[in-house]
Amino acid sequence: MKHAFSLSHISAQILKWTVLLFFLSAALFPLVWLLINSFRSNLELQITSFALPERWLIGNYERALQVASLPRLFFNSIVASFSAVIINVLISSLAGFVLSREVFKGRDTIYTIVTAGVLIPIIAFMVPYFSLITKLGIYDSLSALILVYASVNIPVSMFLITSFMRSIPKELEEAAIIDGCGFVQRFSKIVFPLSQSGLVTAGTFCFIYSWNDFIMAMLLTSGLSARTVQLGIKFFTSQFITDYTSMFAAIIITMIPSVGAYVFLHNRIISGLTAGAVKG
Amino acid sequence: MTRRVLLLATLVFVFLVAPLALYAAGTSEAVPGKEIELRWASIWVGQDSKAAPVNAIIAEFNAANAGKIKVVVDPQPDYNAHEQKIRTAIAAGIAPADIWTMKLNPTTAEFYNSPLLMDFTKSFKGDWKASFDAASVTTSTINGMLKSLPFEVAVLPIWFNMDLLAKVGVNAVPKTEAEFWSLMDKLKAAGISASSQMTGDTNAWTSMIWFSHFAISMGGPKVWSKPFTDPVFVKAAEYTKRMIVDYSTADAIGLGAGGSGGHFLAGRTALFSNGPWYAGRADLAATPFFKNITIAGLPAFGPTSNYTVSRIQANICAVATKDKAREAAIIEFLKYLSLPANVKRIAEASGAMFAVASDATPANHLQAQFATLAKNTKVSAQDLEAALGATATLEFGQQLSAFALGRISAAEFTKLVEAKIDR
Amino acid sequence: MSSTAKSGKKSSWLLRLLFLSPVLILFAGFFVYPFFFTLYASFTRWRGIGAMQFIGIGNYVKIFADGTFHLALRNNFIWALSHGFVQIPFAALVAMILLREPKGWRFLRTVYFLPNVISTVALTMVWSSLYNVQFGLINEFLVKILGKQTVHFLGNPDIALSAVIFQTVIYIGYFMIILLSAGMNIPKELYEAAQIDGASVVQQERFITLPMLRGTLLTSITLAMAYGVRHFESTYLMTGGGPAYATTTMGIDLFQKMDALRYSEASTVGVLLILFGTVLIVAIRKIFGKSDPMSDMAQ
Repeated sequence: MKHAFSLSHISAQILKWTVLLFFLSAALFPLVWLLINSFRSNLELQITSFALPERWLIGNYERALQVASLPRLFFNSIVASFSAVIINVLISSLAGFVLSREVFKGRDTIYTIVTAGVLIPIIAFMVPYFSLITKLGIYDSLSALILVYASVNIPVSMFLITSFMRSIPKELEEAAIIDGCGFVQRFSKIVFPLSQSGLVTAGTFCFIYSWNDFIMAMLLTSGLSARTVQLGIKFFTSQFITDYTSMFAAIIITMIPSVGAYVFLHNRIISGLTAGAVKG
Repeated sequence: MTRRVLLLATLVFVFLVAPLALYAAGTSEAVPGKEIELRWASIWVGQDSKAAPVNAIIAEFNAANAGKIKVVVDPQPDYNAHEQKIRTAIAAGIAPADIWTMKLNPTTAEFYNSPLLMDFTKSFKGDWKASFDAASVTTSTINGMLKSLPFEVAVLPIWFNMDLLAKVGVNAVPKTEAEFWSLMDKLKAAGISASSQMTGDTNAWTSMIWFSHFAISMGGPKVWSKPFTDPVFVKAAEYTKRMIVDYSTADAIGLGAGGSGGHFLAGRTALFSNGPWYAGRADLAATPFFKNITIAGLPAFGPTSNYTVSRIQANICAVATKDKAREAAIIEFLKYLSLPANVKRIAEASGAMFAVASDATPANHLQAQFATLAKNTKVSAQDLEAALGATATLEFGQQLSAFALGRISAAEFTKLVEAKIDR
Repeated sequence: MSSTAKSGKKSSWLLRLLFLSPVLILFAGFFVYPFFFTLYASFTRWRGIGAMQFIGIGNYVKIFADGTFHLALRNNFIWALSHGFVQIPFAALVAMILLREPKGWRFLRTVYFLPNVISTVALTMVWSSLYNVQFGLINEFLVKILGKQTVHFLGNPDIALSAVIFQTVIYIGYFMIILLSAGMNIPKELYEAAQIDGASVVQQERFITLPMLRGTLLTSITLAMAYGVRHFESTYLMTGGGPAYATTTMGIDLFQKMDALRYSEASTVGVLLILFGTVLIVAIRKIFGKSDPMSDMAQ
């Protein structure tokens, strides 16, 4: 009996690590490929894309850093992404609270329509977005990007936040009502704090979208004052020729903040939350 | 607690509304007599080989017109996204900028119906007009309107890696159809991929150029006005399939332009096709066979010989404006940009070819070969994409894969493409 | 007493509206208005210039007769199903393993998420080179190690779709973090109690984790399928929808129609895409969820 247990235990361990390592390599391979190729020349890349550099070229990184106004682009990306995340998560949690914890007619309809927005391929809406933004008079400004990023992510955030808020036990709120908490306090004291890991997840997705977006930034801005770092990467793709390896270097550089944001925002906050979470 | 929520609500409000108010306060209407600012949504930025000379020309123009006109570049660093932005803005009824460029083909010719584009017909006269290549101007004139100025042009010949040809004992580019196929067979027998074909991306770029060569050679420069089911196109399709299946790399079906060019750069393929811009690549110059690349047309596969496949690569558009001063400023800048002396600077720095004649000295031997080729050919006709537009070209690329794989016949292939041509 | 209750009710209506309004206003601006714009455009003839000409259902007739659209529809169906029922189970499996906090789980969690922050352009280049029939690593492995024939992953219309779908394995981290954050809220006491009762690890996952994650799983499946329905970018960059339209999707079709300035037809595809997605997701929710979308996640 004991023997059988340890045997199955060992095979379970092997199975477990096979799964973990498969996905680990699937996730790491592109990154390593990108990193190695960012030190190679374009000709080397054309000859074979799976080899170490003949000489490790730092020139690609130098070129990447020389891209016009990289600090400004970084600053714009940070402002646009973080503002969009804050707005998006705040308003989605307000609405999510009403849609998950209140009972009224039309609630399900609103929820269904709003979340059906996840289906929308945003490219289909480019013309109306362009006219909307120009009519609002915010073309070529960070406000345009913030507004679009915060809005485009509403369906996903509503989806995640509402379903998360629903899973909070009703008893907690009922207890709060007995203690004299009103509508606003039920949100601010009970539901909002308890759904923070859902909020962080939604915020992470919103951040990733905003940070990686290229097409909206290209469409809705024209000058450097409101352009984001993803456009900086594209300075290596010109009319006919793409300097891939320098672009890879630029991608590595621009990834650092988003990885950093993920590690800090997500890992730290979630770990902190679960450590002190109220058990349901 | 209520206060905290109110605070949050206020924050949301501030984030959303305050920037709008700030922006509104910051915009100012153009005042007559003041400096006119012209925004140019330019693709010639960043690492583009035209970026440096164009920026220098703009800087000189701005200095000479200080206080009157100022041209500002709105960088458009990605070509596809640039096109997307142009069409989105025009569809939204807003000019994408004061000046921008586009590729002219039957699809983008639709823009000529837009009142947003300036018609240059009235101002395009005298010396200015005389400096432009007449054929390109004719191509850019639609229904009597000249809503885009032809600027950058290109010929799309065949590139021969003579080092690889030498390996099979051939030292000159083929002059006849028989020589051509014999070269293909020799290369194949020696285990060398004869050509860089590709059917991927949205236009099957390299193979599209080859197909255009075959079609023009057999059907003459007016070939594109024939129905696509014409025997000329059926034959051209069969030749193209033969190139893909028998004389190309194994990955040709579904391959993109980057992959096709990559094979030639890596010295894996002997024949390739592309425009003059490819001659200016730093990585090409670094290859051991760079000195031994020959640029030439294909031999005659039909009645037409000594022909080139060409296109207008970039036309310049400007916004239509009722403001006379503004219109004059735009014209003044475009005249300055297209001065032969300035075009010469751009040509020399980039190796690109222009609709404005200039005595530019080519930067390297490939660009010199391009110039000679363009000068010496009798007949010039557009490639399939430039002649037939986006929908037909997309169908061409997609069905070329099916045809090369043997899933449809040449007749079916041409019928499918014909169905997508707007006539 | 009753008057205070009434005024309380009134104020709660006002508060509800206040809480909902920012989302509703932005949603109206960025989803409802563009949707009706697209819907109207789909009944017109419009090439992006000038006024739209109303033509009725002409575009729909044309699109339904178009073989490319049929292929796109089929491909989208496959995309949606594979996203929902292959990617999510993998993501759930990995999340369940990570919830048991094996060695290095924090590191793994971060690494799994990394591909989501790398630009798609770069990732598709990695996959295109991996898949290359002559030089790709996968074919090298097939030929040299397994002694098999080369496979033309992106050039064979029968295989290309599977190849472009397979590349999404690197994105499991996206849904994994949704499942992880929900899984972390499952009270540890449940597992401790089960362990005392002699339940094996598999039994614990089967009878505790899965039921507790049910709502989140449904959310993830729905979201994943929605992403599958609107899928566009990486396939477009890798194959342009080819070869012979084998990998085209409605998103790609839509994009290429806009590229050809066929805005009204592109709008028609857009409307059909939304319709198709809605039907698919409602069906999934009917099959897996309870009829009331609200009750399935409440405990």
